[in-house]
Amino acid sequence: MIAYISRRLGVLVVILFGSSFILYNLAAISGDPLGELRLSREPNAQQQIVALTRELNLDVPPPLRYFLWLRGILGVFVGNADFGLTRTQQPVINEILVALPITLRLVTAATIIAIILGISIGIVTALRQYSRFDYAMTFVAFLLYSLPIFWVAVLLKEYLAIQFNTFLSEPRISAQWLIGLSIASGVFWSAIISGTRKRVLLIFAGAATANFAFLSYLSITEWFANPSLGPIGIGVFSVGVAYGVTQLSTGIQNKAALHSSLTMAAIALVIYYPVQWLFEQDGEIIIYPLLVITLFLVAGFVPLKFSRIDRGPIIRTSIISAFIMGLLIVIDQLMQTWKPYMESDAVYFRPIPTIGQVNALLEPGNFWMSLLDALVHMFLPTLALLLISFAGYVRFSRGTLLEVLNQDYIRTARAKGLTERTVIMRHAFRNTMIPIATIMVVDFASIIGGAIITERIFGWLGMGTLFNTAINSMDLNLLMGVFLLTGFLAVSANLIADLLYSALDPRIRAGAGGN
Amino acid sequence: MKLNRLAQVAIATAATAGLAVGLLSPANAAPKTTVQIVQSNALTGLNPSVSAMNLTFNTDVDYLEQVGFTYYNNKATLVDNTAFGTYKIVSKKPFKVQYTVNKGRLWSDGTPINGIDLLLTHITAAGTYSQIAGLGDPADSDVTPAFDSLGYGGLYEQHVVGLPILSPDKMSVTVEYGTQVPDWRLLAPGVFPVHALMMMAEGKNKLGTVAENNAARERFYKAFDTYNTASLKKMGAIWSKNYNINVVNASTNPLLLVGNGPFMIKSAVANGAVTMVRNPKYNSGPKVKSLQRVVFKVIGDGTAAAQALKNGEVDIYAGQPTADAVAQLKAMAPAVKVIGGDQAVYEHLDLRVGPAYGTTEPYNGPFAGDSQKAKDLRTAFLLAYPREEIMTKVIQPINATSQLMNSLMVFNSEPSYKNIIAKSGVSKFTAGTQASRTAQALALVKKHFPSAAAGSGSVKIKLLYGQPSNARRVAQAALAKAEWAKAGFDVDVTPTSGWSAFLEDPKYDAAFFAWVKSAAFQSGNVGTYETKANYQGYSNPVIDKIYKELGATPFTAAQIADRFTKVDAELIKDAVTLPVFQHPSANGVNAKLQGVAPSPFSPNLVWNLWDWSFTN
Repeated sequence: MIAYISRRLGVLVVILFGSSFILYNLAAISGDPLGELRLSREPNAQQQIVALTRELNLDVPPPLRYFLWLRGILGVFVGNADFGLTRTQQPVINEILVALPITLRLVTAATIIAIILGISIGIVTALRQYSRFDYAMTFVAFLLYSLPIFWVAVLLKEYLAIQFNTFLSEPRISAQWLIGLSIASGVFWSAIISGTRKRVLLIFAGAATANFAFLSYLSITEWFANPSLGPIGIGVFSVGVAYGVTQLSTGIQNKAALHSSLTMAAIALVIYYPVQWLFEQDGEIIIYPLLVITLFLVAGFVPLKFSRIDRGPIIRTSIISAFIMGLLIVIDQLMQTWKPYMESDAVYFRPIPTIGQVNALLEPGNFWMSLLDALVHMFLPTLALLLISFAGYVRFSRGTLLEVLNQDYIRTARAKGLTERTVIMRHAFRNTMIPIATIMVVDFASIIGGAIITERIFGWLGMGTLFNTAINSMDLNLLMGVFLLTGFLAVSANLIADLLYSALDPRIRAGAGGN
Repeated sequence: MKLNRLAQVAIATAATAGLAVGLLSPANAAPKTTVQIVQSNALTGLNPSVSAMNLTFNTDVDYLEQVGFTYYNNKATLVDNTAFGTYKIVSKKPFKVQYTVNKGRLWSDGTPINGIDLLLTHITAAGTYSQIAGLGDPADSDVTPAFDSLGYGGLYEQHVVGLPILSPDKMSVTVEYGTQVPDWRLLAPGVFPVHALMMMAEGKNKLGTVAENNAARERFYKAFDTYNTASLKKMGAIWSKNYNINVVNASTNPLLLVGNGPFMIKSAVANGAVTMVRNPKYNSGPKVKSLQRVVFKVIGDGTAAAQALKNGEVDIYAGQPTADAVAQLKAMAPAVKVIGGDQAVYEHLDLRVGPAYGTTEPYNGPFAGDSQKAKDLRTAFLLAYPREEIMTKVIQPINATSQLMNSLMVFNSEPSYKNIIAKSGVSKFTAGTQASRTAQALALVKKHFPSAAAGSGSVKIKLLYGQPSNARRVAQAALAKAEWAKAGFDVDVTPTSGWSAFLEDPKYDAAFFAWVKSAAFQSGNVGTYETKANYQGYSNPVIDKIYKELGATPFTAAQIADRFTKVDAELIKDAVTLPVFQHPSANGVNAKLQGVAPSPFSPNLVWNLWDWSFTN
């Protein structure tokens, strides 16, 4: 095993050096750093050409210049790696350290949501194979998969930012939209739940009517201009969460789990007002981690009241429920911040931005304002990335689960008389996750490289932008810095994925000698 | 008593009404005072005179931070900033110019500005000073001088004699030039807070009192006057390195932010937005009308910038000059208006006559030399170049008021243009229709290649032009190729990436690209066609002589126009080059923003930011 890993590491080094050499030379001959100066009519253009040649060592041919650069990098072995300066005189390493968190913020949320959503939809489609919902989701997945992100982004900006902002100035939903959205919702729910024709029609009518009533209520109360869940919303959603989480985690027939989750819902409702008061004590950030710890402690101890045996799954259920309920309270608080945020000078009644990662004009200091600001800036890029990337997970998890469901051990599990929930959640789902876990690792590595197009369209200045700038301004040090990081991550993620696979699945062992 | 009560009721009513009006009227009633400007690349430093820092964004920010004797307006004319100071010729022989700062001008830290603040320009523009003071030779190709300035080697260095002399009251500086420089107005020294530089060189990182600042400035003057290498080197390191920051926040050394311009940087996020606020001490330039804050936002993508404009996140965006982008901006009316303009950049078609000056590789293509055949072929090639078609199909969709350029010396908007084109003989390339000119061209080709006909491809030509990504150039090339084919030319129009490195390469017979004009020199574009400067291997003693004259003696406008006509006539006679158009610009502007008037020279948009205001 050690021999295998060290051999892979050796190959990794060779690949990195080889590809960096090729990239360096390709980049160096792809453009002319002096181009602009050659066209300059300044009397001292010649002097500027001399200065730039001196700065970038342009008198050294690229294959040799590569080794000048490499000398700095190899310093890593003696403890002082030098990635060089960008053409704008900033250390490359600093530029990368500034860009990296921005990229992470942009892509991590999108990837995690895409994974969760993709896998859940994939699993539902696999369980309802060849149902209307399955066909619909297959259609949607392929549709989204084939959309170019720059186009999706332009549409999202036009409808969800520009027009939505305009809508917010008078947040009444027009009749056409009300009817359209209600029909869409009816179609959606009837497709998911399926059944006989009569049942489908009933569900369609029910969902459409409920949706119509709900949206009309939001429209009439101008909820979008001043949204909140309120204690009633929190209560209703919390009970829903309690039932849902219990069903997935332990099964609804586990009364102890259900009761402890429901107790958590009651607690959420009871602490609603005290928490509001706490949130208003703005500026004392220290209380937030304390709140989270208290939440988990309470969620951990409440189940002890309901059961003396088999406490593990019950505690798990209660903690997951409590976490989601906590999120609901946070969302409610963010909704309450919406109105003051929208009315602030910096936002000027157009809260959904199309570009940037923060509002430069917003006065810092208010925690909820800043958080909301960061979130609204993340909204569109995350949505765009999510839309085009979750389709892959849908297809992949659907395929894998179907394959797993045909395995002998699933038949065995059913034959033992286990409930369907246990078969799916414990036997099938866990095995489905093995191949998915390995592609997730590779996915995470590749997102560090940045979503070049997404970043550009949404004016986010992360790794992708850095890469783009480096190419356009012929900034070889910067380009190579970005490349080394992304290249290293890509190659090592492949290694980790291979190792992870063999660790997760005992049937596969990556041993020495390539057997 | 009664009256009193009535008055009370009246006052209470009025107050209630006032309060109600105040509460009920929407919060956005007052006109905006913050303007948000799109930049396509990030800020990289606060001192654009450092050689690696000469980027648009840096220059724009610096323009708002420091105000000197002159600036360019939207007519490409140099305007005297009399609020700051004055300058005049005090002696014709030797040629001396005195620059005087008005009394009472202030730096943002409250220190009064005086003549010493003008002296740093001498250090950063005169290579001779750098050498004498032991700061390094800027022309050396291995060692960077202490002040890593891009000002070396320019007009100033070519003409300045000795050290600038400070007047006894310290408000004026007199500079002596070797000859009477025609472009002496362009040589006005810049103003720089040398006291801040000196204090940073001494390791300080806090603003000083006015007395301390004055003392620091005196120390600078002493170091300057006595060529104090050690002290100057320290300052050089600060000047070349410490200003190169892209983050400004509370921990930034405030000495770096001292300026005399209308705005000063409040914050800058790495690779992100830059916020500037009014400088409360500002009195060195035109009054700022109403703006309180300027925010620059970095948006690289054109569509994204346009949508941000539509969403009200930015107020002004210098759009991509493509027909699609302009159409997109126009579709946003009435919330957005499009302000078009011309840049000081002009596109032209150059033909190679011989090897470029200084290169050894010979050029033997069809256009080589002075023979009648080469001249005929060049003339034919230029005649068949469909300039009008390029204008109507490629350029006018962007800026409808753009016009075909017919002089290489002056832009169409300049007063002497009409006279010059009437006499330069350019009518040869403008008379008749394109069809008739192409027929003429074919006849010329036939003279030397009897078998030539439309599509015969008798003469093979290799054309050099811009990046493949430049769609406009590709369109131009496609239009031209079709027309050239009708005149018997077979033109290879494959675009070349990194094309500018091949300008001297004799493999190419023709090239189209754009020249950038950055200042209104008296010699204008003549230098471009001087023997040593052009990439075409073109050498004409008449042009060389005129170039020398223009660089040596100040002339009247009429005399200059006369010489420009001669140069144009020579270029047309020899059929070596033709202009096509000035690059158009299209700026999407929030319809409520008034006063925007783009200038062809840097800093294109923000030159008159002080005049901008928002209506309701």
